[in-house]
Amino acid sequence: MRELPRRLLERRKYVFIALLFLSFLFLLGGFTKLQLYNTEFYLQKSINNSIRSIEIYPVRGLIKDRNGNILVDNRPSFALSVIPKTVSTQTLSYVIHHLDLDSATVYKRINQNFGFRPVIIARDLLPRDVVDFEERRLEFPGVLTIVEPKRYYMPGVNSPHIFGSIGEVTQVEQLLSPIYKQGDIVGKSGLEKKYDLSLRGTKGLEYKRIDASGKDLGYYDENRNIPPIHGNDLYLYMDYKMQCFAESLFTGRQGALVALDTRNGGVLALVSKPDFDPRSLSGRINPEIWSKLINDPHHPLYSRAIQSTYPPGSTYKLVAALAALQEKIITPHWHAYCPGYYKLGRRIIHCWKVKGHGNIDLLQAIKGSCNVYFYQLGLKIGLDVWTRYSKKFGFGSLTGIDIPNEKPGLVPSIDYFNKLYGEHGWTRGNLANLAIGQGELLVTPLQMAQFAMILANRGIYYKPHLVDHVYDYVDKKMIHFPAAVKYIQGVSEKNYDVVREGMREVVNGGTGWQAKVRGIEMGGKTGTSQNPHGEPHAWFIGFAPFDKPEVAIAVIVENAGSGGGVAAPIARQFLEKYFYGKLLPRPIVKRDSTQAVEETEPLKLDNFNPIPITVPIDSL
Amino acid sequence: MTKDFSAKIDLILLSAILLLLTIGLFTVYSATYTGHAQSQLYFNRQLIFVAIGLISMLVVAFTPLKLIQRLAYPFYGLSILLLILVFFLGVKGYGAERWLAFGSFKLQPSELAKLATILAVARYLSSPEVDINKFKHLLVTAVLIFLPFLLIAKQPDLGTSLVFLALLIPLLYWAGLNWFILFILISPFFTALFAFNFYAFLIWMFIVVLILIFSRKAVSIMAIIFILHITVGLATPAMWAHLRPYQQQRILTFANPEKDPKGSGYQIIQSKVAIGSGGLWGKGYLNGTQTQLRFLPAQHTDFIFSVIGEEWGFMGVMIVLALFLALLFYLLYLAVLVKSVFSSVALIGILTVLFFHVVVNIGMTIGLAPVTGLPLPFISYGGSFLISTLTMMGCVLNFSMNRFNN
Repeated sequence: MRELPRRLLERRKYVFIALLFLSFLFLLGGFTKLQLYNTEFYLQKSINNSIRSIEIYPVRGLIKDRNGNILVDNRPSFALSVIPKTVSTQTLSYVIHHLDLDSATVYKRINQNFGFRPVIIARDLLPRDVVDFEERRLEFPGVLTIVEPKRYYMPGVNSPHIFGSIGEVTQVEQLLSPIYKQGDIVGKSGLEKKYDLSLRGTKGLEYKRIDASGKDLGYYDENRNIPPIHGNDLYLYMDYKMQCFAESLFTGRQGALVALDTRNGGVLALVSKPDFDPRSLSGRINPEIWSKLINDPHHPLYSRAIQSTYPPGSTYKLVAALAALQEKIITPHWHAYCPGYYKLGRRIIHCWKVKGHGNIDLLQAIKGSCNVYFYQLGLKIGLDVWTRYSKKFGFGSLTGIDIPNEKPGLVPSIDYFNKLYGEHGWTRGNLANLAIGQGELLVTPLQMAQFAMILANRGIYYKPHLVDHVYDYVDKKMIHFPAAVKYIQGVSEKNYDVVREGMREVVNGGTGWQAKVRGIEMGGKTGTSQNPHGEPHAWFIGFAPFDKPEVAIAVIVENAGSGGGVAAPIARQFLEKYFYGKLLPRPIVKRDSTQAVEETEPLKLDNFNPIPITVPIDSL
Repeated sequence: MTKDFSAKIDLILLSAILLLLTIGLFTVYSATYTGHAQSQLYFNRQLIFVAIGLISMLVVAFTPLKLIQRLAYPFYGLSILLLILVFFLGVKGYGAERWLAFGSFKLQPSELAKLATILAVARYLSSPEVDINKFKHLLVTAVLIFLPFLLIAKQPDLGTSLVFLALLIPLLYWAGLNWFILFILISPFFTALFAFNFYAFLIWMFIVVLILIFSRKAVSIMAIIFILHITVGLATPAMWAHLRPYQQQRILTFANPEKDPKGSGYQIIQSKVAIGSGGLWGKGYLNGTQTQLRFLPAQHTDFIFSVIGEEWGFMGVMIVLALFLALLFYLLYLAVLVKSVFSSVALIGILTVLFFHVVVNIGMTIGLAPVTGLPLPFISYGGSFLISTLTMMGCVLNFSMNRFNN
């Protein structure tokens, strides 16, 4: 047996000592870095690992009318979601096949997400599919059915253009509003869109403990859970009975009705016909119904009250009258002679009353809606003043009503005509036409109702709004919006009084006699506007009562004939319902006993081309 | 006898072992805790393994040293035989390791081979006629080590086989191999490593040349060694390029598992999260979320140190590391102290095996070492390894008791 040299070992042990020390120092460094410097980072990771936060969808706010009657409510619907980390390709392809989904969309959705957060791949399942998946739950690991609220419209509730629809958020909407997460349900149109942030509520969070296999082990810490907050309830200004009634007046007709409370701008009714059943766009959309809706030549998806623009016809004569009075171009006593036609250059244009109105003043011209009078008046005013006053009264710009996609219409100006026809390409013929509400001028029914409100209040008006107040579930109280009062600068009350007087005459034996509500003094104006789509549109605007106005109304019935004959009776029925709660029996009126006859065509313009004028206008 | 027992047994060593075993039992309990009574299954089994291991330890401790020395070769022969048998009768385990099943008792022959190889090499190197600096004797030593290495690597249990490879240099070094042969043995590895960077390779070759000149050996020997290095340097990148991409990938992943977050990288990432989130004081016993919610794979076996790191924090880690370091230093102290060459060399072998297991296993849990499947001595769950470790400790106790015997 040999011995190892002691001295050698004494020397060589230091190599071992050094190696041991260095190795352990190396480990020590690793632990120091992990446990002392990056604790927070890894702690967060471990929390994320084991605690899954699950979003709890809040109940979307309800929509109620002024009396608190529920119009739009929620009902549970079932959605199918998958957990990307757990679901197998095989299961997924079965689900896609079974529910007849588009596999590209489904895979795109799943690939945009990862981990344990359930991704909704189908919404509003049919009851049999829900039962099917629930019963065979164990066969489909990673597939969950989720209950989510779906809009429910109470029986008798219609008005799709007011409420609008909801749907899954698009990428564009997500970009515009980062608050939206993929898969969120958001308002797509109408009140649902405008008040989405208020209606949607606040999502809640539940923290659940899960193990590595994704198994739910119950709540992590119940005190940490955040309950969802109910979306705010909207209270409309309108009494929905009035809206229903107004809609019923349009049975078999196309058009719009807007009624505003002149005291605050609240919308009493906002009708657009034809429309569609809002239920057909709630939840699962039947593609057949959808394609029928978008291909319908009558455009039921369009909200005519705020989105359709029409020539206003004779109702617009009031603007010319106000402009002329305010600019002192005429006095109320200024007379013009109507022989039943008017020579503009080489053209002869007819008044609707072939016999002529004779020598009439402003009040008589409004009452009889004399075209010849207003041709002459328009030519006296000039385009610049006319444009300025049109804009003053809110035409050509949005009213700011609380539903999206409102259209501003069009008020032509000198610049506009110069651009359209060239500097000298347009003539006074265009101007004469504008004065009687024809030509390039386009307005929405809502703007006309707003104009009626302005006239009713002698210049004071309010932003039209559907929603009066909301119930806030956070503060547990009603929130009222401040009324947005506006005032038309630079038009004197005296001049309003003249025009208002004319409007009273219109209803009392004038062209709008059929709008007269018994026992209520009121003002109005009819219009029959030519349009390229066929029969003229029938217009009526008005307000009531005359001295202490409450309601301003604008009615248009598309391609229906004369304003006095078609639109005025609709306005009357609405006002009767409003003031008396019922329709009044009509006295039998002999047609001959009134002077009012229906208006007819104004100056016909071929494709809006300018008319050559040779005779100087100042000879008038 | 009792007086004799307490007087002779190495109490320092024994208490270190018992302390580590206790920590191990507690940790296994936590790592396999599910809140149900049946969750104690692993703990109970480990308790039985500890008991068997301790008995085995004491039996070996009180076996005459001469007998152990004499039995070294037969023991080595037996374990080689078992390693060969495993190819024909072996059952595959959870990893790459192979088991031999004897009824309900399963044995991992590679664990047995560790101690057998150490004892056999120690016996050979302690023979009076053996001069380690002679090529013939060096070759025999190398064969003693490479035989089990190749058999285990073929299983293919790469991690365990590397333990044998790690034994070679320390044993030879301790047995008195001169530094020049050591240099010839070690340097080609560096050459292969540096071959991937031209400048590093250049500098390394310059150092090699300097050392060769300094050695004052015959020019022919120097030339042969230098040419050898150049060959290795040129061949390695060529061999690398010759590998299929997936093979390259496998080697790269072995070196840096975090590149593969779904495979072995997943373990590393979860383990780092567990340890990092433990912080200074840990989350408390049985309160580690990573552990208790089973985010850690193999948390009762290979990744058991993550459980300690998560539940006991940096302080717990320090204590366990300090215990291991103290144990290793004590083994080194004994290796210098003991008179018997056999004991001394065997102690260095045991020291190396323990050291390799501890550093690779713990380094793996924090992403500083590849995932090799090496368990942590005294702490990881598992019978064969625990019993073989304790048997080694029995040898150490024996050497300690007979420190003044030749």
